[in-house]
Amino acid sequence: MPGRYLKQILKAHRTAYAVFDESLQSLDYDFRNSVFFSEKELGRNFSLWECFPLLAGYEDVVREILQGKLRQYLLEKINHCDDAGKLTYHTILLTAVQDKDYGATRLFCLVSDVTRETALEQSLRQKDYEVRVLRADLLSNGQFLHDSLLGESQPVAKVREFVKKVSQYQATVLLQGESGTGKSLVAKLIHRASPLSSAPFVEINCAAIPDTLMESELFGYEKGAFTNALSSKKGLIEEADKGSLFLDEIGELPLSLQAKLLTFLETQRFRRLGSTIERKANVRLLVASNKELAAAVEQKEFRQDLFFRLNVVTAVLPPLRELGEDILLLAGHFVELLAIDLKKQVTGLTPSLAQKLLSYDWPGNVRELRNALERAVIFCEGKLLDIDDLSLSSIRPVAESGLGNVQIPEDGLAFDDVERAFLEEALNKAGGNQTRAARYLDLSLDTFRYRLKKFKVRPGHPPNKK
Amino acid sequence: MNKPAITLSKKICMLGTFSVGKTSLVRRFVHGLFDDRYLSTIGVQIYEKQLPSIPGRRAENLKLICWDLANIEKLTPAIKNYFRGASAAIVVFDLTRPATFDVKDIHLDAFKQVNPLAGLVFAGNKIDLLPDVSSPPSELADLAGSHSAPLLFTSAKSGAGVAEMFAALGQLLLR
Repeated sequence: MPGRYLKQILKAHRTAYAVFDESLQSLDYDFRNSVFFSEKELGRNFSLWECFPLLAGYEDVVREILQGKLRQYLLEKINHCDDAGKLTYHTILLTAVQDKDYGATRLFCLVSDVTRETALEQSLRQKDYEVRVLRADLLSNGQFLHDSLLGESQPVAKVREFVKKVSQYQATVLLQGESGTGKSLVAKLIHRASPLSSAPFVEINCAAIPDTLMESELFGYEKGAFTNALSSKKGLIEEADKGSLFLDEIGELPLSLQAKLLTFLETQRFRRLGSTIERKANVRLLVASNKELAAAVEQKEFRQDLFFRLNVVTAVLPPLRELGEDILLLAGHFVELLAIDLKKQVTGLTPSLAQKLLSYDWPGNVRELRNALERAVIFCEGKLLDIDDLSLSSIRPVAESGLGNVQIPEDGLAFDDVERAFLEEALNKAGGNQTRAARYLDLSLDTFRYRLKKFKVRPGHPPNKK
Repeated sequence: MNKPAITLSKKICMLGTFSVGKTSLVRRFVHGLFDDRYLSTIGVQIYEKQLPSIPGRRAENLKLICWDLANIEKLTPAIKNYFRGASAAIVVFDLTRPATFDVKDIHLDAFKQVNPLAGLVFAGNKIDLLPDVSSPPSELADLAGSHSAPLLFTSAKSGAGVAEMFAALGQLLLR
């Protein structure tokens, strides 16, 4: 039996013990140093198996220890959860000792509390696994750098290269391109691939916030700055401090705020609404617009000085119709994800649907592709998506869009009126975006602008389609 | 006079790579609980559960001592000590992550070396996330076949198939 000093040592090491005879009945024990036994209701005498039910299966081990064939047996990091849910970790050591007084072998079971040491290891491993699980999620959702920018085409490779290069610098990046080309995704990837990746990425769509709220959203406000400003609030610029701020649809930022944003970009300093205190924030600015900002400057809708300040590193993201076979790669990726999300058996596309997807001009780009496929996956009953599953009313193949059956009225028409009508229709269809409108008419931007001027069509105010 | 029922205690190990749902399956079976939060196990958590009695069996009461092992990255003597004395193992796979189907990662061979007579039950978990339950991954069925192990599909989240899987294990242990 452990002597007085040994008991002191065991106590200091948060170790409980139990001693058993050769028939595995208890001789002595002290469980006060461990919570491992706190809920056990054992009588004065109990067997090894009553005391340690977890040792079921270790009969051979116990026999070998008592016979001296095995010196000791260690079971590490046994978790113990009490009724309150508190988790502790224990090490169980089984060993045999000769009791000289009785000339018999005794089985010693020592239970040490190793919670302090193990909790730290658990915490590190938890973080490690969380990162691995999140990374796996990101990969499967196609959000990570390489896999996000799916595609083998030259334009996609160029965008990938662009992200890789600009992510290493702090320069302001201006992303242009049609709606749905993935400007927001590219901005996120630039942030993620940058040394700032662990810092905040704050995103705001300037078109989604009313002009009157935009200033307080961006720069924050002090208590009492306006009615209902019951407490002070940080703006997005402050939230993004040391990280990246992404302003989507920057072309929609009110002119009055453009000046304030420019000042911030020049000085990295700003004031909250209702405050006289100047604050500093170190923010990497990423902006995007589906409007031609240079044209907006010409139209006096965007400040030239801000445009020059933003136009440091610029990329125009390619529209989907220019990605060729990559459309099918993207479609396959979306179908795979949508099938999981929507719990459908769809595994791919029929060749005729693939051909259809390739011949469509995708004015809404990747967003339109994804939405069309989501609709199709919902209605698909088989394993392959077919043309019938797609909402065909919106599908107008490029090859079929010619004007092969134009008829001139008997009393003739004014060609200038026709041309003006086409210019207006193109602008209307492009939501006012001149680059896209010019593309619809297969004209260069310069020619398109020349014709707008000639026919006095105001590009900023496209007439609504009648 | 009827003989009193015998209670057999059998140790089983839960094997599988990280985040496949080993702990969730045991907790669902033992406590009827499911928690969405992922808490990685370190070392081993041990659960006890009496299986419902099986009519006509000599040992009517079967108590499972479930050793829920942490993801094993490196086979150490401590891990082999955990394996020892197990009568069976439930090998858990995440049906949504084919990468978890690799049994090399979970040291199944080492487990069988320590316990040559132990039975195996394969569990394809997270079936609630699969779009089509009727066509499980064929590679998993092949894998189970190659180990002569029954393959059952489970969802610790919904509880689907969990009781059936442990019942199959009980049959295996009393065989």
